Amino acid sequence: MPGAGTAPEEAPEIAEVLEPGATGGKRLSPTKLYVRRFARNRPALGGMILFVLLVLFSLFGRYLTHWNYEEADFTALSVAPGVGGHILGTNSAGNDVYAQLVHGLGRSLIIAVAVSLMTTAIAGLFGTTAAYFGGKVERAMLGFVHFLLILPSFLIIALVGTHYRGEWKILVVVLTLFGWMLTARVIWSLATSLREREYVMAARFMGVGAFRTIVRHLVPNIGSLLIVTFTLGVASTVQSETALSFIGFGVKQPDVSLGSMLADGQNTLSTAPWLFYMPAALVVLLTVAMALIGDGLRDALDPTSQSGGRA
Amino acid sequence: MIEQRAVTTEPGTQRALLSVRDLKVAFPSEAGRVDAVRGVSFDLHRGKTLGIVGESGSGKSVTSMAVMGLLPEYASVTGEILLDGKNLLDLDDRRMSKVRGQQIGMIFQDPLSSLTPIFSIGAQIVESLQIHQDISSAAAWKRAVELLDLVGIPNPDRRAKGFPHEFSGGMRQRAVIAMAIANDPDLIIADEPTTALDVTVQAQILEVLKTAQRETGAAVIMITHDLGVVAGSADDVMVMYAGRPVEHAGVDELFAQPRMPYTIGLMGAIPRLDDRDRDALTPVPGTPPLLVDLPDACPFAARCPAVEDACRAAEPPLLTIGGAGTGAAHSAACRRAEEIEDGAIAGKPIFPVPAAREDRVADVPREERPKVLELSGVTKTFPLTKGGLLKRKVGTVFAVNGIDLDIREGETLGLVGESGCGKTTTLLEIMGLKPPEQGSIAVCGQDTAGLKRKQDIRAVRRDMQMVFQDPMGALDPRMTVFDILAEPLRAAGERDKKVLGTKVAELMELVGLDPEHRDRFPSAFSGGQRQRIGIARALSTKPRLLVLDEPVSALDVSVQAGVINLLNDLKAELGLSYLFVAHDLSVVCHISDRVAVMYLGRIVEIGDTDAVFDNPRHPYTQALLSAIPLPDPVAERTRERVLLAGDLPSPTDETPGCRFVSRCPLHTTLSDPQKERCRGVTPLLTDRGDPDHRDACHFAGTTTSVDN
Amino acid sequence: MLRYIARKAVGWFLMIAVATNLTYFLANAFLKPASNYTALRPPRTPAQINRSLAQFNLNPDKPILDRWWDWISGIVTHFDWGQSPTGGSVNEQVAYRIFVSGQLVIASTILSIVIGVGVGVYTASRQYKAGDRVWQGISVISFNTPSAVASLGVVLAAIWLNQSVGDTLLPVAGAQSPEVSGFWPVLGSRVMHAILPTISLTFISYAGYHLLQRSLLLDNINSDYVRTARSKGLTRQQAIYRHGLRTSIIPVATQVAFAMPALFTGAVITETVFAWHGMGEYFTKTISTNDVHGAVAVAAFGALMTAIGAILADLVVVALDPRIRVS
Repeated sequence: MPGAGTAPEEAPEIAEVLEPGATGGKRLSPTKLYVRRFARNRPALGGMILFVLLVLFSLFGRYLTHWNYEEADFTALSVAPGVGGHILGTNSAGNDVYAQLVHGLGRSLIIAVAVSLMTTAIAGLFGTTAAYFGGKVERAMLGFVHFLLILPSFLIIALVGTHYRGEWKILVVVLTLFGWMLTARVIWSLATSLREREYVMAARFMGVGAFRTIVRHLVPNIGSLLIVTFTLGVASTVQSETALSFIGFGVKQPDVSLGSMLADGQNTLSTAPWLFYMPAALVVLLTVAMALIGDGLRDALDPTSQSGGRA
Repeated sequence: MIEQRAVTTEPGTQRALLSVRDLKVAFPSEAGRVDAVRGVSFDLHRGKTLGIVGESGSGKSVTSMAVMGLLPEYASVTGEILLDGKNLLDLDDRRMSKVRGQQIGMIFQDPLSSLTPIFSIGAQIVESLQIHQDISSAAAWKRAVELLDLVGIPNPDRRAKGFPHEFSGGMRQRAVIAMAIANDPDLIIADEPTTALDVTVQAQILEVLKTAQRETGAAVIMITHDLGVVAGSADDVMVMYAGRPVEHAGVDELFAQPRMPYTIGLMGAIPRLDDRDRDALTPVPGTPPLLVDLPDACPFAARCPAVEDACRAAEPPLLTIGGAGTGAAHSAACRRAEEIEDGAIAGKPIFPVPAAREDRVADVPREERPKVLELSGVTKTFPLTKGGLLKRKVGTVFAVNGIDLDIREGETLGLVGESGCGKTTTLLEIMGLKPPEQGSIAVCGQDTAGLKRKQDIRAVRRDMQMVFQDPMGALDPRMTVFDILAEPLRAAGERDKKVLGTKVAELMELVGLDPEHRDRFPSAFSGGQRQRIGIARALSTKPRLLVLDEPVSALDVSVQAGVINLLNDLKAELGLSYLFVAHDLSVVCHISDRVAVMYLGRIVEIGDTDAVFDNPRHPYTQALLSAIPLPDPVAERTRERVLLAGDLPSPTDETPGCRFVSRCPLHTTLSDPQKERCRGVTPLLTDRGDPDHRDACHFAGTTTSVDN
Repeated sequence: MLRYIARKAVGWFLMIAVATNLTYFLANAFLKPASNYTALRPPRTPAQINRSLAQFNLNPDKPILDRWWDWISGIVTHFDWGQSPTGGSVNEQVAYRIFVSGQLVIASTILSIVIGVGVGVYTASRQYKAGDRVWQGISVISFNTPSAVASLGVVLAAIWLNQSVGDTLLPVAGAQSPEVSGFWPVLGSRVMHAILPTISLTFISYAGYHLLQRSLLLDNINSDYVRTARSKGLTRQQAIYRHGLRTSIIPVATQVAFAMPALFTGAVITETVFAWHGMGEYFTKTISTNDVHGAVAVAAFGALMTAIGAILADLVVVALDPRIRVS
């Protein structure tokens, strides 16, 4: 209710005490506080280390073998790990699994990061803009989102994906085009609460322009949400890409991604299970790592986080 | 001869119902172990009321939660809480749950969130009955209806089936009280029971609490930040500061002879309706300490004007000061308590009253000063929709219905009213700078209907700025103070870094902040300082009119006084005009030159502050004034209250007639033809001899003013 | 209430219509039904191929708007969704496949809810204790396991199990054995065949409910009204179950309604791996066989499911939450 008498003690006192409000005293800078909270969250820290290792592996792993991922060794078709100088064996076409793994991980990573970066950016701007203007603009923008949501996006992605024969850049574009709507809705619903914030009203009453208000006030204040969204977006894009490539509508020969490797492995599950094990392990490690980082960030950046220490 | 002795046990003949000894509570936090409660001891006898007073973070709510055993598991609680000789701290959750609701009932601050939204009110009361009593559902329901009746809910039969969201805040709080007294408890803990409510509803709820106490004979712990509430309801008062009681005495003794400088400061800081002649309030400087790693010193030392070196050497214990007085023995935690007499040491007041500045424009008669704001016939409506999913328009809410008012240069108009009366809507209409649905708004002589071009709007914006209620919410937490203060200047086209730098420094000094702190984020400042930043931001474009929306209602009393004084000083120094919107009449009476009282979208009385407060003519104004608790136990006891029935109705239809009819105490005393007139003819603002003091009541002349 | 549903349904219907038609044009632009005939022996001339395609309203030489008109009239007048490039009826396929997918989706949804909500409640009341952390770990992994990995993992485990038992205990492909007949044997065979795909679908979808239920319940545990309930004399556990759980179940129910349709098409991979001829598998098949009409039917089905889910979600909220009532 506007104008309701707000008392000096809205929050329970426990929270008041915990939040060092006064000048002086012991204060932590926000960044330090976030880092400290994140590091205390052991799963998140583990996820971070795992992610760094995976990135390093995809960047430098190829120096550990002399095989190229496209090269076929016709002398060693479907050999088990360790045979004929193939660290992780070969597939039925004679490609070195290790080399493919390094390349496939890199491919999956670059697609996931690019898509997540772009969807987060689009969703962030779209959501905050809709929330800032409200009224008719908001309704029109949300209507557009709802329409896109009911479109069979997976089918369209598959259509376009097959049409362009698995070119990964095209995949990035379509995954982005059809991947930002849900995030935009989430961001919009959060930003609507920001719209009612007094500092946004203050900016309006001071005559600050719409674009400036969005960029200076709204976007920074959902910044933590955007970071979390980005991280979790990487995990979910890896999943989508894997699924697409697995059923043959994503990355295709001669290019390789973790999903297409899984599809390879499916046919030889009982005869050459290593073709399945390695990409499966990497893809799960990657998504779980991103999910752990995302959860850790959410807790660390959340001002109402309950993950305090113990007395 | 004043003797001191340590507080030990109560020498009373009968055993206390509740006896708390050396209670300590600590929580873990990022910054370290927070000692929220640091040694609280008190006794409470049956049928008595103990008021615990303190500002945010003083540990008063934590104390009550410790008694209830509702603190989170990670809190470490030590000491003794004896209820009827049984130590509650020894009980586990299962055994404690037999005590809760049965022997102790609790009432919480926020009635909006303290009821389960998906169960009916009746079902929730039935539950409290059946937890502790072996009674049939039918009997329990009957009892629930009786309880609702007891706490003053009309049509209890029907209302018991209603869900919480169908109840107003006051009605919900009544339901919570009904739940708390359902099992005839020995002790009722009320934690800020009226803070979230409007003042007329607060008066009703305090009355209901008294009824509840009478019915159950229970002892009451009343926790509040409002000295007025304590003065009217408590037998003993305990003042808490930084997790400890710093003064404890019978209510009359405490208000008459406070001995701890903090208590004295607190009393000097509240604006009072019954003492309007004071020029300035006496703020308590500084802010309470963080309760982390407190040194062994008086926690108030940093803010105390009467501090001596010895105060910083050891924390003073709570010692009994012998002397007169009824109720609990007077004790205070101050080394110099015995020197203090009448808020003064050796005749010198501890908190000297700051000198008020000379008002530049006060000499010019009102009529000759230019109008900075003029509203005439301003109306704002909202469509009223029904249904949660399918929104249908079922009517129109007249949030603001034909408001006329003007503000002259150098003048403060206080706009008061309860929540939902339309004051915030009025304010947003003004700040929107758009032509209203009906009527007109003119800012500094410029009619908003004539503002078409961007430059024109910008120019008017420079003349009128706003200060918001919530000092935290009004400042972007991700911007430094410099950026916050520079934003309006930048919006007005100022780009030069150097100019911005000097202007920001000037502004910070103007509102009493250190310009060195310009690179800090808002979270690094206390509530009062944040509000100063908000004021500085509003001043940055050198406006002529400041619109203030509840600017001090989110602040603690001791801080609030400083902000009010600052506003008064700024007005005198810069010749500003204020539109001051507030629900707290004591604050308004202290800061305003003129007052407008709003009820359901209309102004019911407007005039010079003294005229309105000394001689309120509209029955609503009278009720509003009489509902405000005074921080004076003697006056509170003798006062005749005009209690309003019910809550604020929704201002939906636009049928003619007085909107106050449903709650008007005067209306019931009128003859039938007179009543007809109230219902049929909308009263307009009329003056009765004095052209500056107008009211909208047909029969205002027939009432007598109420003393307060 | 009925008026509300009717109004919503009309809105959704329009959206479905637009989405379906849009997909029709997209599918025509990207899919080449002719490729079904190019590999045939003896090779056919483009004219012959087009003539074959013309029977199914797929002739690329006919203007797209004319083809669209024929297609839409078929749907509006006979509810006939057209034929595949080789002449199969889309209606028949979809009718059969909805039934096949339905078994899988409904079974795994019920299991996921029971397991997910149960685990959510269990872990929420033991926040940060060992049980909570273990379940949290399992759920984070299962939630983030791509369905391809989950399905293939289940297949691997089943193969290992079958090998160690020395018999085909759990069949890893198909919806039923082709050789059985009679009601009970068929039912038994179906149940046996459904076990593995249901396990893999449940594995990837229960965790969502667990994590959601846990966090909602935790929010409610610290709410004012649970505190009030405790102050009335309920123990912490009782207050959580009686007051916290009831309120927190509402968003979970909404989530279920929304997730159902996604599952239908989301079961693509599970159906592919286990060789179930359901809607998911139809989706991949229509695209790889350039079946324009089939693909559009899949899209329309997906949109319809989303609409049903959204309306169901509204109804669930109205039924459970007294704060929202439609007059």
